[in-house]
Amino acid sequence: MGREVAESCFDGLIIEMVSAYGRRFYATKPDLASRRIEAIGFQVGHQLIERYTVERPRFSDHLEAIKFICKEFWSELFKKQIDNLKTNHRVGTFVLQDNKFRWFTRVLIDPSSEDNEASQGSSSEATSMLLHFPCGIIRGALSNVGISCAVSADASNLPSCESCILFFALKFSI
Amino acid sequence: MIACVAVVGHQNNPLYLQSFTGADDALKLHHIVHCSLDVIDERVNNPKRSVITLNESYLGLLYPTESYKVYGYLSNTKVKFLVVTTDLDVKDTDIRSFFRRFHAAYVDAVSNPFHVPGKKIISRIFAVRVSGIVKAFAPGTYG
Repeated sequence: MGREVAESCFDGLIIEMVSAYGRRFYATKPDLASRRIEAIGFQVGHQLIERYTVERPRFSDHLEAIKFICKEFWSELFKKQIDNLKTNHRVGTFVLQDNKFRWFTRVLIDPSSEDNEASQGSSSEATSMLLHFPCGIIRGALSNVGISCAVSADASNLPSCESCILFFALKFSI
Repeated sequence: MIACVAVVGHQNNPLYLQSFTGADDALKLHHIVHCSLDVIDERVNNPKRSVITLNESYLGLLYPTESYKVYGYLSNTKVKFLVVTTDLDVKDTDIRSFFRRFHAAYVDAVSNPFHVPGKKIISRIFAVRVSGIVKAFAPGTYG
């Protein structure tokens, strides 16, 4: 019953969506663009978690829900699980670490400008725009199971595609 | 015979209510569904008193009135599915498989990008699918 689409189409769609919102629709307001992209991710995550939690017993607490996100949800989306989960119970923060984020393995940051510092700045801007979508997905997924939190992501050493490590930080409002 | 099916969101907002009796008793069924919501809340918040295991989705018989029985099912996303039936002896397995198909139809309806979460489900395909599931259910109980 499910039809399949090549992964490269999906990669292209995400890159074009981010570029459309960032450079065409809200070119002068990057904050608004990032919020719209995150809202798109929110709706996607909201709907996806509905599909992936069918037939599953209900989560008894936050940790179980996060573990579900790290294992089953991540495997459905990215064909692998989260590599490392750290938590700080007192502050209510969880850090998810993905050592090889599938959507970024084909992202090429264009080192077009001559000035080294400027290209550094624009490359981190480009990666942060791309990160809003997966953050939104996580936030939407968690909100549908009743957990409200803020999700932020941090990508280190992005241009080297073989080892793009991504950290998603989830902050709960206790 | 199934009198009506209902889907209720996590804030107890009605997402879908369809009656199959043919008579004009939508209000009465609405009322029955509404009362059953209280039973669901009670079952979920006081797990020690009920027999159902803490985290199972299927909640079983909620509310037997003089002519109706109401069965409940709670999804992981706190969406409640209710079915009101006039049959006196309904097998548990039949109802469980009904809820499974109902849940699958709901997931497909909600995955529609034009569906606004929290608002009523207006998809005609969903209505057709649910009617199909209800029609497929009825003969099974006599088997």
